[in-house]
Amino acid sequence: MLSLFLAEFKRSFVQLRRYSSELIGGVVGTTIIFYGLFLSTQYIAGPGFQFGTRLDSIIVGYVLWALMLFIMGDIAGGLQQESRTGTLEQLFLSPYSASTVFLLRAIASLILNLTINLGILLLIMALTGSRLAFPPTLLPPLLAVLLGAYGIAFAMGALALTLKQVQQVLSVFQFGLIFLFTVPVESWTGSARFLGWLLPMAPGAGLLRGVMAQGAALDWGILAVALLNGAVYFLAGVALFGWAERRMKRLGKLGGY
Amino acid sequence: MLILEAQNLQKTYRSRRQVFTAVADVSLKLAAGEVLAFLGPNGAGKTTTIKMIAGLILPDSGWVMVAGRNPHQDVRALRAIGAVLEGNRNLYWRLTPIENLEYFGVLRGLSRRVAQQHSRDLIERFELGDKRQTLVQNLSRGMQQKLAIAVALMHDPQLLLLDEPTLGLDVEATESVKRLIREIAAEGRAILLTTHQLDIAEELSNRVAVINQGEIVVEEPTAELIRQFSDSAYLIQLEQPLDTLRASKITALGATVELQQITIRDPEILYSALEILRPLPIVTMGRQQANLTDIFLSFVRKP
Repeated sequence: MLSLFLAEFKRSFVQLRRYSSELIGGVVGTTIIFYGLFLSTQYIAGPGFQFGTRLDSIIVGYVLWALMLFIMGDIAGGLQQESRTGTLEQLFLSPYSASTVFLLRAIASLILNLTINLGILLLIMALTGSRLAFPPTLLPPLLAVLLGAYGIAFAMGALALTLKQVQQVLSVFQFGLIFLFTVPVESWTGSARFLGWLLPMAPGAGLLRGVMAQGAALDWGILAVALLNGAVYFLAGVALFGWAERRMKRLGKLGGY
Repeated sequence: MLILEAQNLQKTYRSRRQVFTAVADVSLKLAAGEVLAFLGPNGAGKTTTIKMIAGLILPDSGWVMVAGRNPHQDVRALRAIGAVLEGNRNLYWRLTPIENLEYFGVLRGLSRRVAQQHSRDLIERFELGDKRQTLVQNLSRGMQQKLAIAVALMHDPQLLLLDEPTLGLDVEATESVKRLIREIAAEGRAILLTTHQLDIAEELSNRVAVINQGEIVVEEPTAELIRQFSDSAYLIQLEQPLDTLRASKITALGATVELQQITIRDPEILYSALEILRPLPIVTMGRQQANLTDIFLSFVRKP
């Protein structure tokens, strides 16, 4: 298992380094889009307007969204690409289960993805003058968000395995995700508050905004909800992926033609 | 030793009220060191069968055993299977040959150290040494195909499945892949090979199975099948058309003459005919031999 993890890490790293222009393009593109949004909002609000912690909150949401896109690209996008290039079936010939291979692959590239997104975050902070805090308490809610993100990515992977061509669905889905990361579920009250707890990744993202943007202390009760939320989405995503694999083996369409 | 045993495999696809039987009834056996050429027209069920053997498609009924284990129930069976599916698209194009070999070796269950050792050996053996640091996308098609076979051998499988291994290769690369297939079989591995190039199947295989419309229509040792389809007639090819006098003498013996070609069905009259022909120059003389192409067509064209 450790051997496979290291092999996956090397594979991701080598491809990333060899095609670093794509990486730089991704980082610069993601940053510029946000900066464009920032400038236009500033223009609407007027030069004297102070965004304060609201800007910080939006930045946290945006960077989490970018991280989610990288993760989804890795699993769902990667799967689709491999079905095109013919390596996908080779992965299913491994004595490790396909879910294990894809999970190890995702964790291996997580370190790279986190580094890339930290870069995006720092760039955005430098451009907008935002001051975010990085206390150690950001780690548990980040874990909750990542669990949910992987769950969703596996679910989209299941879709990619079933439908093969999911590029369009993915594009539309990306915009739905913005909602999940930016909607302030932490401020919702009454029954809407429970609904917010059920949305994928939303409670964890809310906690991260609190900890990083508003300097709030970690609410352990909400953290438990966020972790449970992450675990449920993660397990559901992996189960869905396993189901899609079995279904495609029955239909004879694992390879993609 | 029996490496592969597939019994009564069956697979039907259903989509929107359409029912298509890809494989109706296929049973195959393959022993260590044997090369089975699995032949059939497009859509006959070759690829579906190979993927059912590899555990990639679940059969509706029937079973597969590879080295005594069912790949659909026991993942350990996968350690005995190496496969190159659909041409040469089994590699990461952005990695070098050595990176591909090491990655797939670990993926197929080897430790890093063993994977590194095997990659070095296979790179040498497959003559990819001077290309070890070239990205796969910059290799020739022949090199890519050789590398794909090397990747499939990384975990030392007992059964190798090769789907069209020489498709789209130039003459030199084809020869090189053929030599490798012979060597791999000589090591005691069982090889199941599909191809549309029947001359290659004839050269490489010990046995031939022809599949048509999802069913095996013939399965015989290659030499035996060719013998059955060859008759005992001799063909003599002369440099020039035969003169009338000799032609009538030879026809009287019971042979047939068409310009400079003489067909002798009864071997008893061969030497008498040669006496009549003396001293005319003979271009070729030999037993009429069927080839796999004729045999294949006779099976798949049957109503």
